[in-house]
Amino acid sequence: MNLFQSVTSALDNSLAKDPTAVIFGEDVAFGGVFRCTVGLRDKYGKDRVFNTPLCEQGIVGFGIGIAVTGATAIAEIQFADYIFPAFDQIVNEAAKYRYRSGDLFNCGSLTIRSPWGCVGHGALYHSQSPEAFFAHCPGIKVVIPRSPFQAKGLLLSCIEDKNPCIFFEPKILYRAAAEEVPIEPYNIPLSQAEVIQEGSDVTLVAWGTQVHVIREVASMAKEKLGVSCEVIDLRTIIPWDVDTICKSVIKTGRLLISHEAPLTGGFASEISSTVQEECFLNLEAPISRVCGYDTPFPHIFEPFYIPDKWKCYDALRKMINY
Amino acid sequence: MAVAIAAARVWRLNRGLSQAALLLLRQPGARGLARSHPPRQQQQFSSLDDKPQFPGASAEFIDKLEFIQPNVISGIPIYRVMDRQGQIINPSEDPHLPKEKVLKLYKSMTLLNTMDRILYESQRQGRISFYMTNYGEEGTHVGSAAALDNTDLVFGQYREAGVLMYRDYPLELFMAQCYGNISDLGKGRQMPVHYGCKERHFVTISSPLATQIPQAVGAAYAAKRANANRVVICYFGEGAASEGDAHAGFNFAATLECPIIFFCRNNGYAISTPTSEQYRGDGIARGPGYGIMSIRVDGNDVFAVYNATKEARRRAVAENQPFLIEAMTYRIGHHSTSDDSSAYRSVDEVNYWDKQDHPISRLRHYLLSQGWWDEEQEKAWRKQSRRKVMEAFEQAERKPKPNPNLLFSDVYQEMPAQLRKQQESLARHLQTYGEHYPLDHFDK
Repeated sequence: MNLFQSVTSALDNSLAKDPTAVIFGEDVAFGGVFRCTVGLRDKYGKDRVFNTPLCEQGIVGFGIGIAVTGATAIAEIQFADYIFPAFDQIVNEAAKYRYRSGDLFNCGSLTIRSPWGCVGHGALYHSQSPEAFFAHCPGIKVVIPRSPFQAKGLLLSCIEDKNPCIFFEPKILYRAAAEEVPIEPYNIPLSQAEVIQEGSDVTLVAWGTQVHVIREVASMAKEKLGVSCEVIDLRTIIPWDVDTICKSVIKTGRLLISHEAPLTGGFASEISSTVQEECFLNLEAPISRVCGYDTPFPHIFEPFYIPDKWKCYDALRKMINY
Repeated sequence: MAVAIAAARVWRLNRGLSQAALLLLRQPGARGLARSHPPRQQQQFSSLDDKPQFPGASAEFIDKLEFIQPNVISGIPIYRVMDRQGQIINPSEDPHLPKEKVLKLYKSMTLLNTMDRILYESQRQGRISFYMTNYGEEGTHVGSAAALDNTDLVFGQYREAGVLMYRDYPLELFMAQCYGNISDLGKGRQMPVHYGCKERHFVTISSPLATQIPQAVGAAYAAKRANANRVVICYFGEGAASEGDAHAGFNFAATLECPIIFFCRNNGYAISTPTSEQYRGDGIARGPGYGIMSIRVDGNDVFAVYNATKEARRRAVAENQPFLIEAMTYRIGHHSTSDDSSAYRSVDEVNYWDKQDHPISRLRHYLLSQGWWDEEQEKAWRKQSRRKVMEAFEQAERKPKPNPNLLFSDVYQEMPAQLRKQQESLARHLQTYGEHYPLDHFDK
C-alpha cells in the first residue's frame, strides 16, 4: 500500500472494530482530496463518514463534543495550513478537558488527521509543518509518520489513545513508494522514537518526510567522509522520547536535527535545549539544526528553501570538523 | 446553428456543465433556439421552462430590484405565560405543573440567590478569589432544567448555576469548587464558578466563550447515533453568540441534523457592552438564517421558559433537528466580582428589573395565588436556606486544599515521563524552600 491507502486501511480497521467511530471533515464523503477515505462511506454508512460545513473550528469543536460522550471522533483538517481557526478548540479546550475537569470529562477519543509538509509546489498555504505550535501545548499528542507502514500503526495508536491526538500526514509521501502493510490492525507505540539505523559518530534526528533526507545524508556521510551516522525518526513530537535521543547523543557526541518548519521556535529548538541540558559533557560539537528559513513557505523558491540533503550534509561535515 | 452551438459551448464552459448537458442543449427546442414547446428531458434540466436550477437556493426568480429590509422595527415576538405579577395570561398555556415541582422551581431559585449573596460577599472579604452571581437570570436556569430529563447533557457558559441547583448539586460541592478545597471534584484546577458534574450530566465550564457550542452539537450527534433518546442543551449569552464558534455550531447542528437545544440568555450586557453594540439584527433568534426552528421567550417567566424548552426537547429528539430558544432577561448583578456595573449603567435601570420584573417574585406571586405558599413559609425558608448555605460555607472554609501533586495529574490519562520528572523536581524544591510556600493550607 502507499501512504494514503495505509491511512484508509487504518480508518477501515477502526470503523470495523469500534461501532461508535465516525469520520468527518471537508470532502471526506466522496473519498477526500487525497483519497484517504475512499470507499468508507459506502462501507460504513453516511452517518459514520460524512462531510461537514467548511469550518475548521467547527470540525474540531464538533469532534471534541463527540469524544466527550465517549464515542470515537476522527476529524480531518484538509491541510495543516488551515488548522489555525481550530487552534483555540485544540489548545484551550481539547488539551485541557481532562485536567480542568479533574478527570470528570475528557475528549481522549478525538483524533485529528491533517496533510502536512512540503509537496513541491504548495507554497505558503499547502506546505506548512505546524507541529511546533502544538508542541507547546500539554495535553495533546502530535504524531508524524515517515512511511505507509508507520502511518497505519501510528494512526491506529492515536485513534485508540485515551488522549486527543493530532496526526500529521506528509502529503508528499501519499503516493510515493508503496510497501508491505498488513491489512489487519497493528499498533506502533506513541512517544517512542525509532533508531532506524545505528551508528557511532553522529546522531541525526528528523520526522516525517525529512527522515528520508537524513537517511540519504547518512549514506553520503559514510561514502564521502567515512562517518557512521545513527538515524532516528522521532515519530511523536509530544510527549517526545527524550531518553532515546539522549542515549544516542551520549554515544555519538554529535547531534543534527532537521525539519522543514522554520528554524526559530521550531521543534529542533526544544530537542537541542533538552539535549544540551542532559548531555552537555558528552557533546563534541554544538548541536546543529538544519531547518527551513524564517520565512513563509515560498512557491517558486521551494528548492532553495527546504533543508535538503546538501545543507544537511554540509552541516554534518562542519560538525565532524569542529 | 453553428453560432448557436458555439454560443452554447461558451455558455456551457461558463456554467461548468457537462458534455451531456451540452448535448441536451443541442437538441431541438434547446434554449436560444426558437421553439414554443421545449420537450421535457430529465428533471434537473427543466431549465427549459424558466425555473431557477441553482443547487444553492430553492427560490423563484424576481425581476424587480429589491433589497430585503432586515426587520428592526418589530422583532420576533416574546412568548410568555405569566404577566409581571405572576398571573397566567392565557390559561391554555399554563403547564399546570404539580405543586411539588413549582415549589422545587421556587426553592432552587431562592437557594441559588442566597448562595450567590454569600459567595459574592466572601470574595469581597478575600475568602475566595472570584465569583459570578446569577441575579435576575434564575428563571432561565430552572425553567429550562425542569423541562429536561435528568440525563440530558448540559453544556453551559458560566451563568447557569441554577441548572445544577435544580439537579440537586449539593451546596458543599458548589463551595468546594469556589474554594478549590479537597472536596472539589475539579481538583482545584479552575477559578470559581467553573463547575462540572459527571453524575448530573453537566459538562465542566471553561472560560473561553462559545467554545461549548460546536462541542454540544457533536455530543448531540453522538447521542443521535446512539439512539440515546437524549437531548443536549447548550447555554450561552448574547455576547458569546457573536463568536465564530456560535456560527459554526448553529450551522453544523442544522446540516448534521442534531437533537440539540441552543439556549441563549440574552441579558442585555456582555460585561459593559450593551446589546446595541453586540448585534444589529433582531437579537439572537437568528436561527431561521441557518434553517433552525427558533423562538424568543420571556426569560423571567419560568413557565414560558419551561414550555418552550419542553416542546423543543420533545421535537428535537423526535425529529433530530436543532431548536434555538432566545430567553430575554436582564443581568441584575455585575458581570463578576471584577466588575462594577455602575460605570456603564444606571442604578434606576437595575432597580427596575430587581423590583418590577424578577423571575423569583413573579413565581412567588403565582405560588401565593395558588395558595401553595405564604409569608410564614417564606420567612422560614429564607432562614433555613441561609442556614444551609452558611453551614456549607463554614465547612468549605475549614477544609484544606488538595495535595500539590494534583498540579501534575490528568494532563494526559497517564503521566508522561518528563512531567513526572518535573513533579519530582517540585517535590525536591519544596524540601529545601518549603517555608516560602503555603503548604499549611494544603493536604499532605
